[in-house]
This record gives sequence, C-alpha cells and structure tokens, in this order.
Amino acid sequence: MTASPLPVVELVAAVRRADSALGLLQATQDLAAAPHPDGAACLVEVLGFNNPGAAVAAVDGLVAIGEPAVETILTNIDGHNYGARAWAVRALAGIGDVRGLPVLEDALGKDIGPSVRRAAARGLGQLRLAELPEDERRATGHRCLQALLAGCRDGEWVVRYAVVVGLESLAQALDAEMAAGQRQQLIEALGALHADPEEEAPVVQLRAALALQRLGVPHG
Amino acid sequence: MDAGFSEQTRPAAGDPITEEEALRRLRLTDDPSAQYYAAWWLGRNRSTHPEAVPLLQEALRQRRPRDPGAGVEENAVARNAARALGKLAPAAVQAIDDLLATLEDEDHGLREAAARALGELRAEAAVEPLLRRLAGGPSVAGAQQPGTPRLQEPCEALLEALGQIGVAEPAVLAVVTPFVEHERPLIRSAACRALLQLTGAPDWGQRLVALLQHPQLQVRHAALMDLGAAGWRPALEPIAATLAENSLKLIALRGLAEQPSASHSEAATVAVLDAMDALL
Repeated sequence: MTASPLPVVELVAAVRRADSALGLLQATQDLAAAPHPDGAACLVEVLGFNNPGAAVAAVDGLVAIGEPAVETILTNIDGHNYGARAWAVRALAGIGDVRGLPVLEDALGKDIGPSVRRAAARGLGQLRLAELPEDERRATGHRCLQALLAGCRDGEWVVRYAVVVGLESLAQALDAEMAAGQRQQLIEALGALHADPEEEAPVVQLRAALALQRLGVPHG
Repeated sequence: MDAGFSEQTRPAAGDPITEEEALRRLRLTDDPSAQYYAAWWLGRNRSTHPEAVPLLQEALRQRRPRDPGAGVEENAVARNAARALGKLAPAAVQAIDDLLATLEDEDHGLREAAARALGELRAEAAVEPLLRRLAGGPSVAGAQQPGTPRLQEPCEALLEALGQIGVAEPAVLAVVTPFVEHERPLIRSAACRALLQLTGAPDWGQRLVALLQHPQLQVRHAALMDLGAAGWRPALEPIAATLAENSLKLIALRGLAEQPSASHSEAATVAVLDAMDALL
C-alpha cells in the first residue's frame, strides 16, 4: 500500500508547525524519509533545535539527500551552537563529500566542543576519495591523515576514540594508494594509542587493538 | 551519575597552567578561587605529584560551617578537594579518614562530594557510615527537606558509593533495596545501579533499561550513566536506541566495553565498539 507522498513544501510546513518534541520528531522523520534537496535547509534548521531524536532523523535525511545538501550545510554551520555544529559535521561526515574537508580539518583541530571534534575525526576517515582523480586523491588523503595524526593528542577520550575509527577507515579507503611511509605513520599512531601507558580510557586502547587487527597488523 | 553530562571545553589542552603552578595556587589559603581551580586541575589531570594528596587533604580540612553571609567559598574549595581526591585513587587512600570526617559535615554538598570520593577510592571503611546515613530509608533519609528541593541526605551519591565499593553483604542490600521504590526516579536509578553492581541480578538491570524510556530527559541521562557504571552488557541495544545525546550514550557504552569479565566473548566486545562507532 503506497500512499502518494506529500510534496516537500507540506512536509517542511509540518516541521515548522510542530509544537512538541514528539511532533517535531515525527515531522522530521517524515521529511527525512522523502529525501529531497528542497528539504535540506529545513533539516539543517532542525539540527539546532536541541532535540536529539529529531536531529538524528535530520542527519539521516541530509545524508540521504547527499551531495545536493552539502552547500546548504556548509553555508549554515552555526558558530554559536556546538550541539548544532556537531550534528552538521556528522551530516558532512555521512555524506563524505570532499568539499567538507576544510570544515572537518578545522573542527577536529580547533572546535571547543568534543562532540564536534569527534564527529569530524570520524568524517576525516570516510570522505569518498575513490571518486577523485589520482593526484587529488593522494593530496586529500594526506590532509586527512595529518589532521587525524594531530588529533591523537586530543584531551578528550571520545575524540581519541573517534581518531582511531577515522584512521582505520582512512587506511582502508586509501589502501594501496598510500605511500609506504604514510601507512607506517598511520600504523604507528594506532600502535601508540593502543600502548600509551598514560591513556585514561581503556576503551581507546581496545578500539586501537581492533583497528590494528582489522588492518592485519600484529600487536601486543 | 557523576559530573560530565554537559559538554565541556577542552581544559587539558586549553589550560596553560602547569602542575607546579596548580600546587602553588592550592597553597594560597587566602585566595579561595585560586585554590578552587587548582584543586579541580589536580583531579582533572590525575596528578601523581607527591604533594598533591597532602595539599588536597589540607584544602579538605579548610572549611567552615555554612554561613550565607560570609559566602560559601571555603566549602567550595573543600568540595573540589574531595572530588579531586576521588580522582586520584589509589594514591589518595591516605585521605580516607579525612573524607570519612567530611561525610559527617553538616554541609549537604560536601557530604555528597565526600561520598562520591569514598566510592571512587573503594573505601570499605565507608560502608558503615554510608549505611548509617541511609538507615531511615526513603521516608527519612530520602524525605525532602522543607523549603528546598534537596532530600535530607544526598541519597544518590550515598547509594552509588555503596555500589562502587562493592561490599555485597545482606546488611548493605537491606538498606539499599527500599530505595528502588523512592518517589524520585533518579534515586530509584541510583539504587538499581548499586544493586546491579552488588548482586549482578538482571532484574535491577531491567529496571534501569525501563528508565531509559522515561519521559524526562534527565532521568534517561541518569539511567544511561548508571547502566554504563554497572557495565551491564544486555543493555547494549536499549542504550543505543535511547532518545538522548550521543555523547551520553557513548559514555554509557564505554562502561559496557570496559567491563572486565572473562565471560564476555571478543565478539560481544566488538559489538559494543561497533555500536559506539555508529554514534560518533
């Protein structure tokens, strides 16, 4: 049974009309389920409403819209609301469009919100590099790696955890492309996170061990 | 539920002071705000300097009866000192006697901080005084103080400390159990957490999982933290599905991943890590 879908304008109007947390969640889910570029601006607004359930739905919707949503996300990054910024960075990470790279680099290196930095670290590992011409792919991969290597020293465990995840997926994405020296750097960084006696969060070490195992590297 | 709900800026990286500087500031007994920050800094950075614990002990003793007219700075330093001592376990075991004395202070907030620190230090000597504080049960220790939103005792912290210390004797269970019927869901959550830690009985875990559906976000937060503290693996999927910020779900799942147990297979740990990856 398929009802004919409501036009995007009406779905957007329903989100704007929502007057309860649950109502917003449902309206956002409906809008996200009809991934249409015209809904992107409204979905980006929802990221700033401090409603985690609706924000999850909005991120899913933006990721489903994909590349046509990137410009809208980039021009609406909220400098004053790190909750909203974290969700926007998550959406960029999910889409994996290379236009998001400067935002991801900046977010991991400088953002005051750990939730923003952790989303950026994950995103730096999942940009869609395969679509790029070879020289651009190498240069972009290099920038991702440098940003993630710097992120290994982050003061928050959850960001270091996300850096491990980012490094693992970057290694898988670049695979044969990576110069031997770069791969060595990446593996050493994971090894250092795994073995760091100062690490306060055992879960970071657990995750680094898993990453090394998945990359076929023996570790102690 | 410990502090750390709200998003914090990056103190370790953003903060320029050194350990020496923190120790110097902690000695400034005429400058409570410098001491307040220094005490926090030493705990946050898990200082291992030999002077850290003795100086924090002194700061803990440096308090006076609550006097609204004179401000509360002195006790604020003591509260932060107590919290820092909790973070410096096991080096801070020498401070247990001071913390036990602080548990008898008339300042509610100071008792709360002392109880949490004693829990973190796994201080078995604290079990008897903690039980004594809770002895009247939900209708006495857990009764609301007239004119304030506070309960007579900082029940949440007292219950959580008992769970963390881990002495699972019948006398402990007998005092903790009635609090699972307290009128406030946060107290119910703390009692279930303690009983789950003490007995491992799945009933208490199920009750916490049920609180993940509570209409108040604050209660869902508490249940997340409590399941994480107990490291109860069957809560993996309910935690991941809770309507709450990913930051808190990640903290809870970290607790599950780090739960030491020979009975957990490697695949089960990988399932927790996969769920965490999906929340980043």
